[in-house]
Amino acid sequence: MTTTDLILSHCDTATVQLPQSMASVQKEAADFLDANKFAFAKNEVWRNVDFSDFMNDELLVPQQNAPTPQTKFTCGIPNLDTTQLTIRNGFYQTDGEPLQKLGNGVVIGSLRTAIAQCPDLVAKVFGTTTPVNNSFLAANTAMFTDGVFIYIPDNANVAKPLQILGVADHEKSIFLQTRNLVYVGKNSSLTLIHCDDSYNHNRCFSNTVTEIVIDEYARLDHYKMQNLNDNSGLINQTFVRMRQNATLLSNGISFNGGNIRNHNEIRMDGEHCDVQVHGLYLMDKEQRIDNYVFVEHSHPNCNSYELFKGIMDDNAHGSFNGHVLVCDGASKTNAQQSNKNILLTDKATINSKPFLEIYNDDVKCSHGSSIGQLDEQALFYLMQRGIRPHTARTLLMFAFCDEVLKSVGIAPLQQQLREMVQRRLQGELSSCDNCVMSCPTDNCHFTIDVSAI
Amino acid sequence: MSLLSIRNLHASIGDKEILKGVNLEINEGEVHSIMGPNGNGKSTLAAVIVGNSKFTVTQGEVIFKGKNVLEMPVEERAAEGLFLGFQYPVEIPGVSISTFMRTAVNEQRKYRGLDPLSGSEFMKLMEEKKQIVELTANLASRSVNEGFSGGEKKKNEIFQMAMLDPKMAILDETDSGLDIDALRIVANGVNKLRRPDNATIVITHYQRLLDYIVPDFVHILYDGRIVKTGDKNLALELEEKGYAWIKEELENSNK
Ligand SMILES: Nc1ncnc2c1ncn2[C@@H]1O[C@H](COP(=O)(O)OP(=O)(O)O)[C@@H](O)[C@H]1O
Ligand SMILES: [Mg+2]
Repeated sequence: MTTTDLILSHCDTATVQLPQSMASVQKEAADFLDANKFAFAKNEVWRNVDFSDFMNDELLVPQQNAPTPQTKFTCGIPNLDTTQLTIRNGFYQTDGEPLQKLGNGVVIGSLRTAIAQCPDLVAKVFGTTTPVNNSFLAANTAMFTDGVFIYIPDNANVAKPLQILGVADHEKSIFLQTRNLVYVGKNSSLTLIHCDDSYNHNRCFSNTVTEIVIDEYARLDHYKMQNLNDNSGLINQTFVRMRQNATLLSNGISFNGGNIRNHNEIRMDGEHCDVQVHGLYLMDKEQRIDNYVFVEHSHPNCNSYELFKGIMDDNAHGSFNGHVLVCDGASKTNAQQSNKNILLTDKATINSKPFLEIYNDDVKCSHGSSIGQLDEQALFYLMQRGIRPHTARTLLMFAFCDEVLKSVGIAPLQQQLREMVQRRLQGELSSCDNCVMSCPTDNCHFTIDVSAI
Repeated sequence: MSLLSIRNLHASIGDKEILKGVNLEINEGEVHSIMGPNGNGKSTLAAVIVGNSKFTVTQGEVIFKGKNVLEMPVEERAAEGLFLGFQYPVEIPGVSISTFMRTAVNEQRKYRGLDPLSGSEFMKLMEEKKQIVELTANLASRSVNEGFSGGEKKKNEIFQMAMLDPKMAILDETDSGLDIDALRIVANGVNKLRRPDNATIVITHYQRLLDYIVPDFVHILYDGRIVKTGDKNLALELEEKGYAWIKEELENSNK
């Protein structure tokens, strides 16, 4: 059965049973699929996206946790201390309790378990961040298998970052639908690192949804890293709802992947919210990347800033779609959108469409986009100092990426990302079979001193 | 044998010939100045020597240390010891001066079969060379030339020259846009780097710089050719009589 048929025929029997309070959301999702199927090509928001390859394929949906003995996955970023939460082939994996309730009221662990043990906390997030507005979201809502649940109560400062390791290492070609829920309580702050990595070369199609609520005066720093094999497809939808004075810093770095859709929808429900969404994508071969950001300004005095930069090599194809909606009541809105691209070949393409929709006169909004090649004069200048063309090009590409990398607030992570970007630009990263996070760096020789940039 | 030997060099851009037969011999330990009115090919000569592919060499040869450099790529000419101080240094956002220089120094060392400098060795070298042009500490961590004043850009060129220690430096209008203090610093820097085993070409429009960097020879490049060569007094004469004098002399000798 194709993925499409599988979803359409099974969407009314939920994989995870929800209590009555949330079941209506699942019903709504099933109805949405029934009515719309996957005919979203007409839809402007999904126009550039093409996952037909995966939708027409026959893929296995893993039904339970991976068999024992369980491989332990660890993140090897030097000097980065995190609490790790592993999602392996669609299911939460741990050798301890599937749901931990920490002393300070923090709850972390498996969403499946959380639905059974603390449905009231789950209901604070599940289905509250977005209407059911697309078929992939609907499919996930109806049929998700598991995912990570993170609940940070009010007035809690979680010093150690949480890290979600999304691992795909199944021996078959698989289709995954995981759902992650994150609640950051009033005055609290959280750093969340989310890595999606392939551990083998098998085909994996992942339709992921993450819902996030950032309550009043709370802050979330959200880092997303994607390093998937060339056979994989990832639809990564993140929906954020923010209350007044909330802050979001989102940083998504797509190193590798066959076909990636990063879909972000951010809604501000109160005044004085601050949103920064940054993205960096480095694609080559036949890879595809689509970045979509929707930001809704419905209240006065909020800021949003988007910066997306990409380097496209070979036949890579990509799009950036930014939509900032400034509603009638959102006076004193400050919104900026920027998308900059470097195309390294004639065959590589990018479709860049920043878009502002404004219904209030008292706002400061701007958008810009650029598509170009490496600067010839700068290359000559570097080479005149004895730098070989390959190194000179790498240096300029790296410099191009740096604007995004320098906004990463955790020093060890920033350092690791710089090294990874550099290795990616030197063509070394895609040769790593394992998760690059844990791959030793001492067998790589850097000609450029990235630490000094 | 000369360090640099340029014979009957012709170069064009598109179908426009700019260099029309340049001859020049430079020996170790010498400082040569090339002067001449704007638009007569001074920068073009410098660009062709270091290998800017914007220009096509149609005739002649450039021999450096006995090697035909016209057949070498830009980066090899640089590693052989040819350095150009740019008339218009390029801004490179996102690349710090220290990264730039560390990469350049180590790539050149690699070309010469030397091990790369370690981080601490490099820092030490940089501290030492910064003194030469009185470069302030924070400048090195800034992106190359980004937001630099005219003076800072030119100081940065001389700093790079000090770091790379070239055999043959060509300084293109290093004095333009400098106030008198910056001019003195830059000129002192160049003088400190002068040795019996290297050489410098100073391209300038004005005699002023030559009060500080005293040349052994002064050449006048006019309409793509070196039309007159003399000692430092030629620069003074030129300052006094103006470029029209050269034009007249040429016209007279053509009669
Ligand atoms: N990129 C270019 N395209 C066309 N003409 C050029 C270019 N660069 C230089 N030239 C021309 O070459 C001639 C010599 O220029 P240049 O070498 O810069 O002179 P100088 O340095 O003596 O002022 C000028 O006539 C100038 O217009
Ligand atoms: Mg010039």
